[in-house]
Amino acid sequence: MSTPVATKPLRLSGSQPFTQQPGSFILLGERTNVAGSPKFAKLIKEGKYEEAVSVARQQVENGANVLDICMDEGMIDGVAAMSRYLQLLASEPEVAKVPFMVDSSKWEVIEAGLKCLQGKGIVNSISLKEGEDKFRQNARTVLKYGAAVVVMAFDEQGQAASYAEKIRICERAYRMLVDELRFPPQDIIFDPNILTVATGMEEHNNYAVDFIEATRWIKANLPHAKVSGGVSNISFSFRGNNKVREAMHSAFLYHAIAAGMDMGIVNAGMLEVYEEIEPELKVLVEDVLLNRRTDATERLVEHGEKLKNVGTVVSEKKAEEWRLGTVEERLSHALVRGIDTYIEADAEEARVQLGRPLLVIEGPLMAGMSVVGDLFGAGKMFLPQVVKSARVMKKAVAHLTPYMEAEKAAMLASGQEVKAQGKILLATVKGDVHDIGKNIVGVVLACNNFEVIDMGVMVSSEKILERARAEKVDIIGLSGLITPSLDEMVHVAREMERGGFKQPLLIGGATTSRAHTAIKIAPHYSQPVMHVLDASRAVPVTTSLLSVEGNQAFLAQYREDYEALRKAYATPRQTAVPLATARARRTPIEWRAEDVPHPSFHGICVLDNFPLATLREYIDWSPFFHTWGMRGIYPRILDDERQGTEARKIFADGQVLLDQIIAEKLLTARGVYGMFAANTVGDDVEVYTDCARQTMLQRFHFLRQQVDREGTEPCRSLADFIAPKETGLPDHLGAFAVTTGIGMKELGDRFRSQHDDYNAIMAEALADRLAEAFAECLHKRVRDAWGYGCQETFTPAELVQEKYRGIRPAPGYPACPDHTEKGTIWSLLNVEANTGIRITESFAMWPGSSVSGLYFAHPQARYFSLGKIDRDQVADYHLRKGMSVAEVERWLGQNLLYDPS
Amino acid sequence: MHQTHGERALILMTGTNQHPLREILEQRIAIIDGAMGTTIRTYGMTEADMRGERFRSAEKDLLNNGDLFSLTQPGMICDIHRRFLEAGADILETNTFGATSITQSEFFVDDPRERGGRKNPEFYQEIIEDPQLSMLAWDINETSARQCREWADRIGHATGRQRFVAGAIGPLTVSLSNSPDPDDSGFRVVTFDQVKAAYMEQVRALIAGGVDLLLVETIFDSLNAKAALVAIREVFDQDGLAARNKELPVMISAAVGRGGETLISAQTTEAFWNAVQHVHPLSVGLNCSLGPDLMYPFLAELSARADVAISCYPNAGLPNPLSETGFDLGPGDMARFLGDFARGGLINIAGGCCGNTPDHIAAIAKALEHQEPRALAAVEVMA
Repeated sequence: MSTPVATKPLRLSGSQPFTQQPGSFILLGERTNVAGSPKFAKLIKEGKYEEAVSVARQQVENGANVLDICMDEGMIDGVAAMSRYLQLLASEPEVAKVPFMVDSSKWEVIEAGLKCLQGKGIVNSISLKEGEDKFRQNARTVLKYGAAVVVMAFDEQGQAASYAEKIRICERAYRMLVDELRFPPQDIIFDPNILTVATGMEEHNNYAVDFIEATRWIKANLPHAKVSGGVSNISFSFRGNNKVREAMHSAFLYHAIAAGMDMGIVNAGMLEVYEEIEPELKVLVEDVLLNRRTDATERLVEHGEKLKNVGTVVSEKKAEEWRLGTVEERLSHALVRGIDTYIEADAEEARVQLGRPLLVIEGPLMAGMSVVGDLFGAGKMFLPQVVKSARVMKKAVAHLTPYMEAEKAAMLASGQEVKAQGKILLATVKGDVHDIGKNIVGVVLACNNFEVIDMGVMVSSEKILERARAEKVDIIGLSGLITPSLDEMVHVAREMERGGFKQPLLIGGATTSRAHTAIKIAPHYSQPVMHVLDASRAVPVTTSLLSVEGNQAFLAQYREDYEALRKAYATPRQTAVPLATARARRTPIEWRAEDVPHPSFHGICVLDNFPLATLREYIDWSPFFHTWGMRGIYPRILDDERQGTEARKIFADGQVLLDQIIAEKLLTARGVYGMFAANTVGDDVEVYTDCARQTMLQRFHFLRQQVDREGTEPCRSLADFIAPKETGLPDHLGAFAVTTGIGMKELGDRFRSQHDDYNAIMAEALADRLAEAFAECLHKRVRDAWGYGCQETFTPAELVQEKYRGIRPAPGYPACPDHTEKGTIWSLLNVEANTGIRITESFAMWPGSSVSGLYFAHPQARYFSLGKIDRDQVADYHLRKGMSVAEVERWLGQNLLYDPS
Repeated sequence: MHQTHGERALILMTGTNQHPLREILEQRIAIIDGAMGTTIRTYGMTEADMRGERFRSAEKDLLNNGDLFSLTQPGMICDIHRRFLEAGADILETNTFGATSITQSEFFVDDPRERGGRKNPEFYQEIIEDPQLSMLAWDINETSARQCREWADRIGHATGRQRFVAGAIGPLTVSLSNSPDPDDSGFRVVTFDQVKAAYMEQVRALIAGGVDLLLVETIFDSLNAKAALVAIREVFDQDGLAARNKELPVMISAAVGRGGETLISAQTTEAFWNAVQHVHPLSVGLNCSLGPDLMYPFLAELSARADVAISCYPNAGLPNPLSETGFDLGPGDMARFLGDFARGGLINIAGGCCGNTPDHIAAIAKALEHQEPRALAAVEVMA
C-alpha cells in the first residue's frame, strides 16, 4: 500500500529542546508523582514545596528526560498544587530546562498544568473511557496548548487487558486523532496498560506478553505513534521485595523496548542492569513475564522469599566533585549553578574563616555574583538563572543575618554607630510602563539583604523624591525601557540636585547606557550617578556604594571612568568615507614623463664600514635634545633662556663622545639600498625584477586615508606617488636599511660597568642620530642617482628640514603604520645577510639605531598621516595581504576607526 | 487591474487553502514595515496632541502610549502607514502593540506599589473586568486595523500590488514566567486566564477591523505568547471562523537575548519552535532586541528547524541612547545585513523593528528586491 516512512521523533521542550533519539529510551521521572512517591506526597500535603522542588531537581540530575508530575491524592487540591508546583519549577532553571508531563485523572488539573508550561509538554492522559465526545474535546484542548498526549488503552467498556482489546482501542483512538482531529501522529503516545502479573490469577499471566505484543503491533501499524507505560505496575505483587521488583522491571523493559516501547515511567535510581541480573533470578523472572510455565509464579515467589530483606543499592548520586574546592570556590559554584543544598554550611565556614559575616557577603559571595554577572553579560547565563543565583544568595545572607545583628548589638552597646541595612528605592520613571526588568533587579537586591521599596511604573519625579525623603533611602534607582524615559531620568537628576539630595542615583533599562549616563545624566547631579547594566550587576554596585571600607576606591574609579567617557564623547567623532570613495579621491597627480626620473643604477648597493665622519655632517641634532627631555630646535635651543645652559653642556659632552666614537671606531655603520622598477596597481606597488617589468619581485601594500577628508582634500596613500601601471610610465621605487648600532651593546655595557649611565645613554642617543644621518645621507645619494639631486644646493639645515624633492617614509610610521611591510623590504634587499640587521617577531629592528624605509621620487610625494581606517579598508587589506582580519586589526590597532571587539 | 475591496476578500476565501501571502513568500522575500514608536517621535507630538479631546482629563502622562495616537492623531499615524507602504512594505502592522486592557491599565490605573501595595491576580482581575479599559482596548484595535486596511488597500490599488495588514499582538507589561516577589518564586502577578482574556479581546477587535493576519510578536516570555496563541484558537473556534474556514494566518516572532533565549523566560530558539509549532503559523521568526549581526546565529538555527516561512525584523542595532534615533544602524547598514541573510537563504519576510524608519524599510526592500527567498519546505499534506 504505502511505502514505509521514517518514524518522526517525538519533539518536546522545556526551556531547552528535547528530541527523541533513535535507539534511546526516554526516562519519565516518577518521583514527582504523589502516587509514585509517598515522600513527595507527604511534602506536598505539608506544603513543603521548596523541598518538593529539590525532588524534581534530583530527578533531572539522575537523568530523567521528562518529569511526570502528578498531584492526584484525596487530600490535595489538585489544581492549586499543580499550578503552584509548576510555577516554582519554572523558576528553577536546572529543572525548567526539561519538558514536563502533566499527569492527572482530573481534566481541570491537566488544564491548570498546561497553563503553566512555556514549552511543549505531555498530557497524561486522555482515553475513550467517557466516550468519543469527551475524547475529542480533550484532544482538541491538548492541541490548543501544544502538547503531546498519552492515550490510555481504555474505552467505554473499560481497561484493555488483552492483546486484541489493546490494539483495537489504540487503533480506534489513533484514527480519530489523526484522521479526524489532525493530531500530529508523532505526538501520540499510547499507554497500552502494563498490568500486574504473578497475582495468582491465571488470567493475569499473559499481561506482560499482551503489552509487549501490543507494542509491537502499534509500532508496526500506527505510523509515528509512540508507546509508553508505568513499569512498576508489572511487579506490584512483589511489593516489599525490591530485589525481585528491580529484576522484573529491567527484564520487562528489555523485552518491551525490543518490541518498540519508547518511554516509560521509571525510577531511574531503581533499575537493575539487565545483563547483571543473577542468572537464576533472570530465568525465573522471564518465565513469569513471558508466561513460559504454568508454575512460573510459584517458583518466583518461592525464590523471592529468599531474597527478601536483601538491601538494594539505589544508585548513589554522582560524586559531587565541586565539594572538594575551597570555601570560596564552593560558594561561587553554588551561586553560579544555583545550588542551595550546602549554601548555609559553606557560608558558616566562610564566616568562621573570615571572622565577620559582612566580609563573607562583600568578599566571596559578591565575587560569586560577579561571575554570574560576567556569564550573563556574555550570554552564557539567562535571566532566570541570575534570579536563582540571587535566591541562593538570599539563603546565605539569611544565615549570616543573626551574626550581623549580634555584631550590631555589640557595637551599639559599646556606644559605636551602627549602619542600618541598605534601603533602595526603585521606580520606572513617568511616561514609561515597563518594569519586568526592574522587578527582577528588585528581587535580586532583596535577596542580598537590601530593603527594596518598589514604587512601580509611571512614577513622577515628585513622588519619587517625596518617598525617598520620607523613607530616608540610601540609593535611588531609576528604570526605563523606551527612549523618552532617558529625558525623564535627566529631569529626576536635576530635581535631585535642586532638592539637595545626597543619595547616589542608579540608572538602568534597555535603552540606557553607561556612556549616556556619564554624558547626559551625571552632569546634572553632583552625587554619583551610575549605570547598572543588568540585574546581575545591581548588587556589586549597591554593595560597593554602601560599603564603609570599599566605597572610596569604588567612587574614585567611577569618577575616573565616567570622566573618560565624557572626554571621549567631547572629542569630535571621526567619520570615514567608503574605501571606494577614498580611492576615487587619490592624490591628484597628472602623470608626466619628466616627473618620473630614471635612476643611474638598478639593483642593490651594500655599504659596509661607512665613514662615521661623513654621517656626522648629516646629523639632525634637535631630536638629540629630546632624548634628554629638552624641547626645542637646534641650534636655537643652545641660547634658550631656560634650557640653554643645560643644552650647551649636554651638547658639548655629546661632541666629546662622538669624537671618541669616530676616532676609536667604537661603532660600525652598515647599510644597503636599492633601486627597482615599480608601478602602482590599486593601492599596491609592484616591484619588478628588471626593466622589462614582466616578473614581479615583491609587492608593497599601502593603506589610504579615509576619515575626515573635508572638501576636496585628497585621500592619500603612498601608492599615489608611484606611476600607475596603466600610465605606461617606467617608474621606480627605492628602499633602504641602515644601522649604526653595531658595537653599541659593547659600548653601553662598558659605560655601565663603570657605573657611567650618563655616557651609556649619551652613546645610544648619538648612535640613533648617526643612523638617522645615515638614512639622510643615503637619500642624498639616491636623489643623485635619480639625477635631480645633482642640482641641489641645500645647506645641512635645509636638508634637515627636508626641503628636497622626494620622501623616505618608513613602515611603522604615520604614512605606513603597518610594521609588517618591513618584511618586504628585508626580502627585497636581503637586509639580514647584507647588513646583519634582523627583524624580530614584533617587526622591531635589531640592533637598535637602525632605520629602514622606502624612497619615492615624484615631486608631489609628501609625508602624511594615515589616520583612522574603517572596516571596509581592513577587509580589503586582509585580502590583499593574505593576512586574517584579526591579524590586520592587531597590527593596525591604533588606526582602526572602530572597536574590533 | 485594480481590485475592489470585495474582490480582495474573494481572493482570500476562494480557491485552494493557499493564502495569497504564502504564494508571495514562495516567489520573493516579503517586506514587513518598520518601527512605529521611534517613527512617531520624529513628528514632535506633545502631550496635548496625544490627548486630544477624548483623553483631555487623563491623570497620567500619555505621550508614550503610542497606540492611542491611532485614536487622537489618525492623520499622523496614517501618514506613517502610508510612508511604510510606499517604502515597499508588503505587510503593514497595526499600531496596537500595547492595545490590551492589561497594558493600557498601566497608563490609566494608579500603580498600587506607589503606596506600598502590590500588583497581583486580584488587581488584574479588576483590570480585565473594567468596561472602560475594555472599550478602550477594543477601540484602539478596531480603529487601527481599519486605518491600516484603508491604506493597505489604497496603496495596493495604486501600485497594483496587494498589501496585507497584520494585527500586532505585543508581549504585555506583565510576565507569566517571572516572580517579582523575592520571598516566593512561585508568585505571579497575573494568571494565564487573565492574559488570555485580554488577548482574546484584542484578537476579536483586530479581526473586526479587517486585518489579514495575526502577528504575535516581540515574545520575551513564551508563556505569554502561548496565552496569546490559545486566545487566537479560542476566538477562531468560538466565533465560527474555524467552522467557516476563515481562520487568519498567524505569524510568530520572538525577541531573544545574546544566548538566543526569549529574554525573560529564557527559552532557547529550538525549544521555542517546538512549543509553538502546533499552531501551524504562516511564519516564525525573530524581531526587536538584538541588532541583525547578533541575531544571525539564532535566525540560522530557527531557519534550520522550522518548516514554515522565516521572518526577521531586527532593531537598527543595539540601543544607543546617544544616537539621534536611539539606534546606530542606518538604512544602508540594515540593507546590507538583511541582504546577507537573504543570500544565506535564511529568510522569507524581512523588515525592521525599533529604530527603523521608512528610509530603512525602503533600503531593505531595495536590497532584497531580486533576492531569492528561503526555500519553503513542501506543504505537509494533511488529508
